[in-house]
Amino acid sequence: MNNVLTIAFYSLRRSFWIILGWGIPLMLLGIITIPFYDLVAENEKQLRPVLNTLKPLLKSFIGGDEAEQVFTPEGFIALRYFAFLPVVMGIFGSVYGSGLLAGDEEKGILDFLMAHPISRAQMFWGRLVAFFISLTFIIGLGWLGLWLGVLKAESMIFSPLKLILPYISVFAVTWLFACLSLAFSMVMPSRSAAAMFSGIIVLAGYIITTLSKAIKGLEAWALFSPITYFQGNAMVGLELDLLMKLLIASSLFIFFARRGFGSRDIRVAGDGGWKIPLLDPR
Amino acid sequence: MSDQNLPAIYAKDLIKSYGSFRALKGIDLQVHSGEIFGFLGPNGAGKTTAIRCMLDMIRRDSGAIEIFGKDPQIESVAVRDLCGYLPGELRLDENASVKSVLNYLRRLRQGGKDCSENILQLASRLDLSLESKIKNLSKGNKQKLGIIAAFMHNPKLLLLDEPTSGLDPLVQQTVLELVKEAKQSGATIFFSSHVLAEVQSVADRVAIIKNGEIVEVGVTSSLLSKRSWRAKIKFGSDDSGRKAMIEALKDTKVLKVSDDGRIYDIGIEGDVDSFIKCIAAFEVDYLEINKPNLEEIFLSYYGDYNS
Repeated sequence: MNNVLTIAFYSLRRSFWIILGWGIPLMLLGIITIPFYDLVAENEKQLRPVLNTLKPLLKSFIGGDEAEQVFTPEGFIALRYFAFLPVVMGIFGSVYGSGLLAGDEEKGILDFLMAHPISRAQMFWGRLVAFFISLTFIIGLGWLGLWLGVLKAESMIFSPLKLILPYISVFAVTWLFACLSLAFSMVMPSRSAAAMFSGIIVLAGYIITTLSKAIKGLEAWALFSPITYFQGNAMVGLELDLLMKLLIASSLFIFFARRGFGSRDIRVAGDGGWKIPLLDPR
Repeated sequence: MSDQNLPAIYAKDLIKSYGSFRALKGIDLQVHSGEIFGFLGPNGAGKTTAIRCMLDMIRRDSGAIEIFGKDPQIESVAVRDLCGYLPGELRLDENASVKSVLNYLRRLRQGGKDCSENILQLASRLDLSLESKIKNLSKGNKQKLGIIAAFMHNPKLLLLDEPTSGLDPLVQQTVLELVKEAKQSGATIFFSSHVLAEVQSVADRVAIIKNGEIVEVGVTSSLLSKRSWRAKIKFGSDDSGRKAMIEALKDTKVLKVSDDGRIYDIGIEGDVDSFIKCIAAFEVDYLEINKPNLEEIFLSYYGDYNS
């Protein structure tokens, strides 16, 4: 346990600039975006007819049948602020998760660290705990920005606790993509390949979930998209079963990643890489 | 069996492959407790793979390996606790300071005050500033950090992969002194090197690895002494009967004669006395006679490699 904490705190210190680099823009996004609700509320009469004339496919990209909720404070936050966050944070989770172990492994740093009296399990959990804490800080900064934005908007009154509900869902989606990417990085030959595949799932999931609101045939596929389980409108009530589904899937990916890391060789710098027959010059 | 009687490293028929490439082809190795063991071989021979198997960073395909009687695959933490390791290519977190990295490594070893004092002492001997950022360090200074990390906890077994690589000659001497001091305090040192002269100067025993197989292992001094003498002579005049006379000597072989018949390369397996007496009958312009050093023995196994 002692070593897990040592690894976690050291990794957390290394993540300082990542936390600021992602947390501050997320905070600014809230501060800048949310006060625009005042303008939307003022111009509801002009905007509503425009919304009604949109074709279903186009409308699906701004919330589908729920698009009209943009005129309510909760709906505005869900559609204008949280709609894109799972993609942005999913990409962040994919990049961070793939590098959690494979990043240092490819740099050759892990080889040296693992020569010390720590087990692979301790290294794995130490890094994962550090990511959990880093993500909490980033989400915390995002939530702070959202709250400051709400304070700035004249026609919005929300308690800070209510604002945290959709962020719990953002956390769960980001966590899931990080765990997925971590699991990929344990079986794929390089960190970038793991991040790329996880990133493809983020984007494909977003497109499928969004289009499924207009195209009925995609509804079944949308069940496999993690974005479907995201609750940007959680301020009106967080559905625990959707949250649990994300967390259970994340736990499964953690299980596979842990098994992968425990049983395979630790690579050194330069190991791995794609070998595509015919294209590989070697 | 007490720890003292156990071999520091024991490997039997150790096999490790990377895909279709077999890096270790059944290595048998026994390193005694308290000795300095040199591990020689060029890049890609399998030295680093063997060391990484010892620390359970990579998993063997088959065979056995034990560090003081412990299987690294089963008791990896206990094995690593006994070892100090310096990798061949040391990579570190570039944004950290020397001090923070060493403190981190010390905490991973649950090292206390003694460990901290050792860090300060070693840094002073190696002339390394603890306040520097890793990214500002030269290759040699990074190597010094690796050496401190390997030695700081007075390990029972030191696994050093090219320990003097990138260091200036003065620091190389300090490192060899540290190796000798570690041996005096009872540690076992297993180190690989390209610098054969340094292996010859400190190693009690050496092993030569070629293409994943151990091709020679033995006490350094006897490895050198059992090798034949090599003589190079330039005679004052040509004499066709001379070659037959030399070849008639027991355990003596003419390896090469120059076109003009005056310069001879000769190999002598046993005593040189009869050879000296034999050539005394002729006019000699030049005579050079010596035993091969470790480098020549090493190169004799790597003729193909070098060509």
